[in-house]
Amino acid sequence: MEPVLLVRYAEIHLKGLNRPYFERSLMKRIELALRPLRVKVVREQGRVFVFGLPESAIGESAQKLTRVFGIHSVSPALAVEKEWEAIECAAKSLVAARIAGLDQASFKVTARRADKRFPMRSQEICRLLGGRLLEAFPALRVDVHQPDFYVGVEIRQDQAFLFAEELLGVGGMPVGSNGHAMLLISGGIDSPVAGYMIAKRGVSISAVHFYSYPYTSERAREKVADLTHILAGFAGEITLYLVPFTEIQLAIYEKCPQSETTVLMRRLMMKISERIALSCGAQALITGESIGQVASQTIESLTVTNDAVTLPVFRPLIGFDKEEIVEYAQRIGSYDTSILPFEDCCTVFVPQHPVTKPKLEDLRRSEALVDFAPMIERAIAQTEIRAVD
Amino acid sequence: MIYLDNSATTRVLPEAADAACRAMTEQFYNPASAYQPAVATEKAVEEARARLSSALGFTTEELLYTSGGTESNNMAILGSLKPKRGKRRILTTLGEHPSVYEVFRSLENEAETEVVFIGLNADGTANLEQLAALLTADTALVSLMHVNNEVGAVNDLASAAALIRRLSPDALLHSDGVQAFCKRPFARPPVDLYSISAHKFHAPKGIGALYVRNGFKFAGGQIGGGQERNLRSGTSNVPGILGLDAALAVYRSNQERWIAQMRTCKEKLAKNLLSIPDAVINGPAPEEGAPHILSVSFPGVRGEVLVNALSEREICVSTGSACSTHKKGQNRILTAMGVAGVRAEGTLRFSFCPFNTPEEIDTVSGILSEQVAFLRRFRRR
Repeated sequence: MEPVLLVRYAEIHLKGLNRPYFERSLMKRIELALRPLRVKVVREQGRVFVFGLPESAIGESAQKLTRVFGIHSVSPALAVEKEWEAIECAAKSLVAARIAGLDQASFKVTARRADKRFPMRSQEICRLLGGRLLEAFPALRVDVHQPDFYVGVEIRQDQAFLFAEELLGVGGMPVGSNGHAMLLISGGIDSPVAGYMIAKRGVSISAVHFYSYPYTSERAREKVADLTHILAGFAGEITLYLVPFTEIQLAIYEKCPQSETTVLMRRLMMKISERIALSCGAQALITGESIGQVASQTIESLTVTNDAVTLPVFRPLIGFDKEEIVEYAQRIGSYDTSILPFEDCCTVFVPQHPVTKPKLEDLRRSEALVDFAPMIERAIAQTEIRAVD
Repeated sequence: MIYLDNSATTRVLPEAADAACRAMTEQFYNPASAYQPAVATEKAVEEARARLSSALGFTTEELLYTSGGTESNNMAILGSLKPKRGKRRILTTLGEHPSVYEVFRSLENEAETEVVFIGLNADGTANLEQLAALLTADTALVSLMHVNNEVGAVNDLASAAALIRRLSPDALLHSDGVQAFCKRPFARPPVDLYSISAHKFHAPKGIGALYVRNGFKFAGGQIGGGQERNLRSGTSNVPGILGLDAALAVYRSNQERWIAQMRTCKEKLAKNLLSIPDAVINGPAPEEGAPHILSVSFPGVRGEVLVNALSEREICVSTGSACSTHKKGQNRILTAMGVAGVRAEGTLRFSFCPFNTPEEIDTVSGILSEQVAFLRRFRRR
């Protein structure tokens, strides 16, 4: 009897001929998520099995895998010989642990016979095992419709697997299976959620943050690193680019029309982000924008911002209300960090009456008032690069 | 690195660090144990207690060691109210440290307790006329800080004590002495309870004391093995106690000179900074008040921005109490003093130690006037 993890994958099973590619990505992600433990990950007919875990690490490892994109669910399981006594014995030990401390519980048995050479059919397995468990545990009763838990039996090529618990995963696709994108991360509530959603689709993430020392503090920068760390808990290691932005912000403040400062600032952030994205092989930009949330996120403003770059810009929150984004942030655990009171951009640079319907020609003209090119070069040259995991 | 945030905490003196280190590696015994080295450790602790008590004219039985200022303040307030029953009023000021202010706020929900806050004068001292008007026969406790931690105002404890004796003879007077101890000449404060924190005078963190005058019922703090006269259980923090003792010894033998040195730095910085246009001092005039705290506003620049700009030049100052930097909103103490708007927003607190030099002050003034001028070009429009 060996403790293992049985992993069911999410959308990958819809894949056709390229399914092995996604499966391999997922296996690699599972290995990375369980480090520093060294495990053996094996795939077999629509399942992935994790071997080599010490028994004491099973629970925590299962929890870790529920945060890995591409996984539908995880079950701590027992791998046994394909012999009836071994199967029954494993089932009893799982049930004993599952109902410890309970006066009564309802259950059912489900069985899958992937190895058709096994002499009993699935129905027979369910009936016989269910009967034996009822005899052994007086607290149990059968409920095939809404049981408190179910005992799963899977008869595979080499072994049988039994489990009594199924933990739901986050779904999605394994990170790294769908390219690489650059997230613009601010320190607010929205951008970590945007990064999460794109990473969930299997995209590996880098992140870029603009800071305006002394207008923003060291603590604000550390807060962004903390948010990146939370995101990395799902998305794997993230390279974080910290770009000094004060010089550009001050130039906009002094030389450009006041009402346009925010949109101009965003155009320049997009340009720098694209430069960094291209230098590290990212194929798209990600922002946390949502239509109409603030002046710089009206359709007109988004059009003007979009015009600054040629890479595709992914805005997964575009149709979300603030409330929905907050709920999502709470679910992924970034909310409490996001609302810490360290300003991500000083109110000095927020105009009293920002333009809400900027015209592209006007903005291009305003941008031409300052020679930003050397400032952009300096900002990129002074960018600090950190690996966050 | 120029460190002007000594009200947040101080660098530990080598003598204090040595004493604490010896208490961890050599004299590491539990003073409550029975064998000889433990008895010697207990003796060392009691001698230290005697020296700390005598510095302020207390007796040794009146002094409890605690984990620091916050615990002392909490225990002073809650421990003196607990044995008293019935309807009562308790008073404190709007200028207190959060470890007093928030305890009073938490008592507002108690049915029998009426919590009243006294305003501040423009210089940051407590408004004693208001105190006199609010003292009643059923007043059980007044908490009045000795030196304000943000602007350095010194409260007149003797006058407050006289008012209380006359108008509320049953009331106890507690004073938070955290920013006053060692920074004012050693003299017995005319109060019933007095809080001290060691890391504000170059001793380690995690150790403090509470004076509880003999002669009234006091409930004390944590319960357990009965240490500190059964008023504050917990194994004695011997490294902290002996570290405090060593720092106090050095402070006592240098105090007059050190206070003068801090005062010189404070007055020099005040003079230099007043040459910056529109700069204004909050709290008492620099030659008055505590020798080590100076609050200055630079309207038109946000305090946080200045703190960051100075930090980049390796100068450490703060906008106010470090215990408040994680909170949003207006500064309670400045608001109570009538300082508001751009002036309140543009406030820095400088706090000195005896090791700051006039050269450091000139460096800081130079960088500040340059930064204020630069940053004012980018005012909020």
